[in-house]
Amino acid sequence: MKVPIAWLRDYVALPEDNDEIVARLTALGFPVDEVIERPQLTNVVAGRIAKVAPHPNADRLVLCTIDTGESEQLHIATAATNVAEGQIVPVARIGAQLAGGLTIAPRKMRGVDSQGMLCSAEELGLPGEWFEDGIMQLDYAMDPGTDVVERFRLTDPVLEVDVTPNRPDALSMIGLARELAASFGTELHEPGMLVKYEDGPEDARVTIETLDCKRFVFQRIHGLRVRPAHAWMRVRLALAGQRPINNVVDVSNFVMLEMGQPLHFFDFEKVAGGHLIVRDARDGESFTTLDDQDRTLDSRMIVIADEEGPTSLAGIMGGLRSEVSETTTDVLVEAANWTGPRIRRASLALKLRTEASGRFEKSLPLALADIGAARAARLLEQEGGGVRMPRSGGRGVPDPTPVKLRAGEVERLLGFAVSDDEIERGLTALGFGVRRTDDGFSVTAPYWRNDIAMAADLVEEIARVVGYDRVQAETPTVAPQDLESAEFDRETQLATTMAGLGYTEAISLSLQPAAVANAWRSNGIAVDDVVEIVNPLSEDQRFMRFSLAPALLEFAARDRAVRPYRAFELGHVFTDARPDPHETVQLTALHAGGESAFGRLKSDVLALVRRVTGAGAHVERGTFPSLHPGKTAALRVGERIVGYVGVVDPRLAHVYDVADTTALATLFVEAFPPRSVPHYVAPSKFPPLDRDLAVVVPLDVLAGDLVDAAKSEPLVRSATVFDEYRGPQVGEGKKSLALRIVLQSSDATLTDDDADAAMARIIATLRERFGAVPRGAASTA
Amino acid sequence: MTMIGMSELEANLAALTARFDAAVANASDGRALDEVRVAFLGRSGEVTGVRRGIGNLPPAERPSAGKVINAAVEAMEAKLTEAAAGIDRAALERSLGDTIDVTFPGPPATIGALHPVRQIGIDVARYFTRHGFAVVLGPEIETDANNFDALNIPPDHPAREGLDSFYLRPDLLLRTHTSPMQVRSMRQHGPPIAIIVPGKAYRRDAVDARHLYMFHQVEGLMVGRGIHFGHLKGMLVGMCRELFGPSADVRFRPSFFPFTEPSAEIDVKCPACEGRGGECRTCGGSGWIEIGGSGMVHPNVLRSVGYDPDDVSGWAFGCGLERIAMKRYDIDDIRAFVENQPSFAEGLS
Ligand SMILES: [Zn+2]
Repeated sequence: MKVPIAWLRDYVALPEDNDEIVARLTALGFPVDEVIERPQLTNVVAGRIAKVAPHPNADRLVLCTIDTGESEQLHIATAATNVAEGQIVPVARIGAQLAGGLTIAPRKMRGVDSQGMLCSAEELGLPGEWFEDGIMQLDYAMDPGTDVVERFRLTDPVLEVDVTPNRPDALSMIGLARELAASFGTELHEPGMLVKYEDGPEDARVTIETLDCKRFVFQRIHGLRVRPAHAWMRVRLALAGQRPINNVVDVSNFVMLEMGQPLHFFDFEKVAGGHLIVRDARDGESFTTLDDQDRTLDSRMIVIADEEGPTSLAGIMGGLRSEVSETTTDVLVEAANWTGPRIRRASLALKLRTEASGRFEKSLPLALADIGAARAARLLEQEGGGVRMPRSGGRGVPDPTPVKLRAGEVERLLGFAVSDDEIERGLTALGFGVRRTDDGFSVTAPYWRNDIAMAADLVEEIARVVGYDRVQAETPTVAPQDLESAEFDRETQLATTMAGLGYTEAISLSLQPAAVANAWRSNGIAVDDVVEIVNPLSEDQRFMRFSLAPALLEFAARDRAVRPYRAFELGHVFTDARPDPHETVQLTALHAGGESAFGRLKSDVLALVRRVTGAGAHVERGTFPSLHPGKTAALRVGERIVGYVGVVDPRLAHVYDVADTTALATLFVEAFPPRSVPHYVAPSKFPPLDRDLAVVVPLDVLAGDLVDAAKSEPLVRSATVFDEYRGPQVGEGKKSLALRIVLQSSDATLTDDDADAAMARIIATLRERFGAVPRGAASTA
Repeated sequence: MTMIGMSELEANLAALTARFDAAVANASDGRALDEVRVAFLGRSGEVTGVRRGIGNLPPAERPSAGKVINAAVEAMEAKLTEAAAGIDRAALERSLGDTIDVTFPGPPATIGALHPVRQIGIDVARYFTRHGFAVVLGPEIETDANNFDALNIPPDHPAREGLDSFYLRPDLLLRTHTSPMQVRSMRQHGPPIAIIVPGKAYRRDAVDARHLYMFHQVEGLMVGRGIHFGHLKGMLVGMCRELFGPSADVRFRPSFFPFTEPSAEIDVKCPACEGRGGECRTCGGSGWIEIGGSGMVHPNVLRSVGYDPDDVSGWAFGCGLERIAMKRYDIDDIRAFVENQPSFAEGLS
């Protein structure tokens, strides 16, 4: 909300140092998002136009004689066409500084001396388009010579104040002034509301047909003449960002900004039958709001109708038909209270948010309706209106329920003691009624606060008024608890290990367009049903990610200059496992470029699994969407498949424009078994013997299977495949695999004969299981 | 005759030794030295020739002649060993003069890095676990009830407006904060409880330099007997010192959150200007940076999870990890966190 400091000063004496006001508002819980500085203005006084004469040398100029309360009158030439004798206008004297950096110097205008300048609103730093063309008109009652800058405090900054939704009462000048008065310990000057009621026939009627109209105060004011409002009101409104319209409409806006109660004024002559009916809108009912928009209503909205149909949209905006116009003389003031959520739903449905609806939807205090009407009556009376008695429908204003504040409760929650006197003083300053009881206080909230329901609410009020800085930092002692951090620890270990292995962590957005899954499916790659957002902001964010691979593939394609490229993401992926969505945690890693991307990635994820689970993963053939069906390994730990590593599916490589050698791995984090405790195996005291063995096998025999078979020989300490050969020496459909086998016994030194016998057993096993034929065993011993 | 025989042998031996010495001195490497050994001490070498001459000596002189030859052989062996060691040493000395181009690149490698958001999450967790807190994680798809109702945000509450949500079904949404884990954890475990919850949250915000619809938070919760606002401040001051350095400080400002009462915004003293403000870009001149919201857990929330608000009290806070990272690393566009440019995570690791 835009809050001119000048306006706040109408109700409370504030320090001249604006920073102090900003700091105090912030400390009270009303942070200032922006301080809008005003232009530097000096030496502008009110002047009465004593005489207007033609300029001797120019048809377009006139010469004004101005009385500024000094003995010497000023002679000022102007091109403005709205000047007339008797007007009070702002006069910039010689040496004055005006908006836009303008400085006034003595000058000749077409041969005649001009001793200053008459100012437009724009030259005083006000929005020119909101004021009259030409010279700004001040009030006739203003004495010539009055310092205009000082009177309107035109150089006080305007604050953009952030008001939390629990405090609609503070969406007003009086609300913030009240808080500042309590904080500075100064007096609050409430605006006047006394009026003289006149008798008259009860010719306005209101019928309330919905419970969501909680209160409806209405009051007739007649005999008005519509014209521009007083300068002080127009300046206040303009500084607060509200365009001045006329003296009647401006009162309704002024009271809303001043007191926080939105009002609506009907031109009473245009209320058919003088009878307003507050009711639910009918589905399909149409209506023209005062912004000249035709709107189709439904039963979510509330209308105020007369005998010809809707004439105002309750809590949101008035209607064109009964709008106050230039010819209005008789208004019906409406000051109502609505069920907040009802107004919010209606406003959302109409996509129409106004200053009024923004306040009503936060559920205003009931009593504010009466106060708003009274204040409007007072201001309209000053405009010459005759005021009838206010009447009301709906609920009466209930007495507030006292809230109990136990002794010690403040210290229990805040951690520091506040004396009873301090509590009483603080709450009283904020308008609360405080009564001491045997075990603490009984506290009654002021009428403008409907957010106080329990002791904790009072504790916050006390903290605000004594200052949150009183809270003393203290390190608590945490009692033992049986909650575990296992999931977090595992994710942290996965991520830090991957980073240690040389992979860079990515975090990508979880929402994506339909095109991602469609591209996979149209290329023959299976995708589970994806989870749909029913209210996305755009089509690009309609679906939840089903895999972490698409983002990594896109990054790898974008960053093709970086090779080798190694990245991973650890996050949640989603599928629609009807009836409920299914959410799992995955780690996907990508390796592009460099030698043997697949081999490197496989070694890395095996190291990762070993480190995180304490157990090695068994590598076997598998298939997984996103991976090449013939180039994919499943990683098994015990009975569980913990992930897949493979070469990217060539169809996806094509879609994402990455090399078809790019390797991907996806690990299912929740499938990882709890870390097993390995057992210590003492190293053998007896020397190992290395033997190399090359065997020719059919092409489809897997290296891993050969190794597994070799390991079935008890003397084998380790076995690895270190070379593969294909070519004429082994023949079509065959390959030669070279194994290095380390033999060792735990209880004797092996002889060459022992080793030869073991190798013979291994060869026999391989021949039997895989049709392997030795290419000649060689000993390195 | 005998004397002549013995002296001839000794003279031959002396001449041979002199030739041997010259040959050893000439040998510049191990192979040349081997050739010398073969030529003099080999099976058919020169010493063998001299040794054959023993047979021509009178039998009485033969033993002493043998001793003389053996002594000469021993001396030659020693000289060979010494010469070999000298050659090895010379080779080592020479190798010290070798150079390589140390700037020639090695095989390609990558540095590897954690994303800064994860790094900050780990740093925060380290601090809290040191003080006995548990770190728990939770689902990103939440029930409307856990995300709102149990946190004292009934339908139509104005606070829902600031927490505009992505819905999957009328009762399911993407959590708008990590706070539903307060509810889940407290329902599972009675008081006392002390946890933090790092994780993703989602709000229906249009993406720009300051907003992403997906972001990360860390939630903190501590409930037990005698837990108060000062304890919250103590833990937050410690957390900020962990993140921003030992001079970091924290201040509270009143605010409003439906699930806490009293509520407070958490401001940390600007690490760039150390609170001086002025022209500081990091804090916009205020000297303080808002990093999250906090407060004492609302009695209605405690009741909704079956805790007795008259018996126990507690605090909760939630901080945006991207927001902290932006201030810690001086990042001015939040979109950098999800663009994953190659220089991003590595540059900050
Ligand atoms: Zn700063």
